[in-house]
Amino acid sequence: MAEIWQGPLEKIDDYRFRIPKTYKPGMRVPGIIYADEKLLKDIRQDKAPEQVANVAFLPGIVNASLAMPDIHWGYGFSIGGVAATDIENGGVISPAGVGFDINCGVRLLKTNFQYEEIKDKIKALVYALFSDIPSGVGSKGDIKVSEREEREILVKGARWAVEKGYGIEEDLECTEEYGAIQGADPLAVSQRAYERGKAQSGTLGSGNHFLEIQVIDQIYDQKLSDAFGLTLGQITIMIHSGSRGLGYQICDDYTRSMIHYLQKYNINIPDRQLACAPVNSPEGKAYLSAMKCAANYAWANRQCLMYLTRKVFEKVFGMQWQKMGMSLIYDVAHNIAKIERYTIDGKEKTLCVHRKGATRAFGPGHPALPQRYKNTGQPVIIPGDMGRNSYLLVGTKKAEEETFGSTCHGAGRVKSRTAATRSINVEALLKELESKDIIVKASGRGTIVEEAPQAYKDVNEVVNVVHNAGISKRVCRMRPLGVIKG
Amino acid sequence: MPKEYELIEHTADLGIRVKAKDLKELFRNAGLAMFEIMAEPAQIDDKQKPKTKKVIIKQKADNLDGLFVNWLNELLSLSATKELIFCDFKIKKLDKNSLEVEAEAESLDKYKVNTEIKAATYHQLKIEKIDSRWQAEVIFDV
Repeated sequence: MAEIWQGPLEKIDDYRFRIPKTYKPGMRVPGIIYADEKLLKDIRQDKAPEQVANVAFLPGIVNASLAMPDIHWGYGFSIGGVAATDIENGGVISPAGVGFDINCGVRLLKTNFQYEEIKDKIKALVYALFSDIPSGVGSKGDIKVSEREEREILVKGARWAVEKGYGIEEDLECTEEYGAIQGADPLAVSQRAYERGKAQSGTLGSGNHFLEIQVIDQIYDQKLSDAFGLTLGQITIMIHSGSRGLGYQICDDYTRSMIHYLQKYNINIPDRQLACAPVNSPEGKAYLSAMKCAANYAWANRQCLMYLTRKVFEKVFGMQWQKMGMSLIYDVAHNIAKIERYTIDGKEKTLCVHRKGATRAFGPGHPALPQRYKNTGQPVIIPGDMGRNSYLLVGTKKAEEETFGSTCHGAGRVKSRTAATRSINVEALLKELESKDIIVKASGRGTIVEEAPQAYKDVNEVVNVVHNAGISKRVCRMRPLGVIKG
Repeated sequence: MPKEYELIEHTADLGIRVKAKDLKELFRNAGLAMFEIMAEPAQIDDKQKPKTKKVIIKQKADNLDGLFVNWLNELLSLSATKELIFCDFKIKKLDKNSLEVEAEAESLDKYKVNTEIKAATYHQLKIEKIDSRWQAEVIFDV
């Protein structure tokens, strides 16, 4: 176990705590952690708060180095970290503020089914999904692409999949950035990254990635639930995956080059993994273009995974997916950097917003939202652990004012993988999950233990904080029925 | 070979502490430890020893820390793209800026892969000489 963090955390209110700028010389802004007293105890257990302070060193950072209540110790940035830099004022972009798994994210789709109608089919569904969706370390997909096609994916993102017949136009409207962020330049991606991304389209991956069949077990906001067409007892499906090997290689390539150029830009940072370059420098621009390629690859990947899921449902139920109402609610990225406009001290600014384990949470009326969500605000999807709950929230104006339109991304780990493996018995865990009517299929038994509910914070407590702080709003809650793990 | 590494606790990821008598062995042991965490030999029906493949790896960096991280990330990258698991290394040349290694690898399908390591990071990276032995600590993104 890491040592307990002893640094200063000043209480601003019940859900906000400040690490003062004076904590460490070199901090340009304070740190602000969204949490309550109970979660704060967990947060102090590792080095995440120190990482929040370290991020405050980044040149051009504005307002504060932020952390969401699911914050935990990462490398460079904490996981659950949000930082925005002013790009016209020397603001930097850091690959560590995005992570190796670029555009790791999650999508939620609904069905017409009620739990009572299909509860006897869950097992068959889980087994069919597990057999038809490639998962596990280095898994390769049946959706094979040539190098020329891979380049096309990097630019077109989820649209590539839709053009291939793996979805419909409406899916793109229900995806952040419409499934393809503009400005992706395949020339910024190394040959090695291409090779590493090849053959992995339409694969889930491993670790914390999953596909889940869920049931809505609580409605918090009737009006918003009605707007999304969601009712108590309804079956939903959640898919969590990222850009696979392509993203890892891009992050590695650009961390290497940015470390080399730190001196050139006279950048002092307390952790070399925070290597960065001005957004407007050649190195910053190249990274951003490459990162966008990986982001688009991830959106194409989740689109392919959804296509495979729809196919499995068609096979099991013998009807078309449209008849089963399997439409996408939304797809969000939670490892990404975005160029967005905000008003800072009364002035319009163009910022580079890093969301490392954080979700965009735009409020009603935001121009980036499709017409269908203009009144509700952006759907925010929060996956929990395999034994507890997941959430659908919406973004708020307050998030745009306070957190650069960002909120939490999940439950957040509290126990290391090694500690989980040491202390949790896989048989006992599977029995416990079975007693809750949760069926789990995983490529490796190790993954089940590492991803056990005990290794995570309670997502209910995490969501409670972002809801009460006003940076997103609860719509409804799901509980897992069937889980496919990498 | 005796275990020359131990795991370091990290909430989200995984770290190792590696020891060795000299720098060359430190690089070798770190590489071996990484692949031991990732994969174990699968039970193979045919009794034949799996064929090994030799790969020459060259790396450059501004300093020793950079070289160490680049070395491990190059191995991960090659392992993923060539579908290989590295099983031994002859460190031919090593100074603080460059490295040349003759690596031995086996086909990925002879192994059962347990953990995906995405990358080695600089976060809390430490390479130091303690008394007469070398020690390195590195955290992986898993």
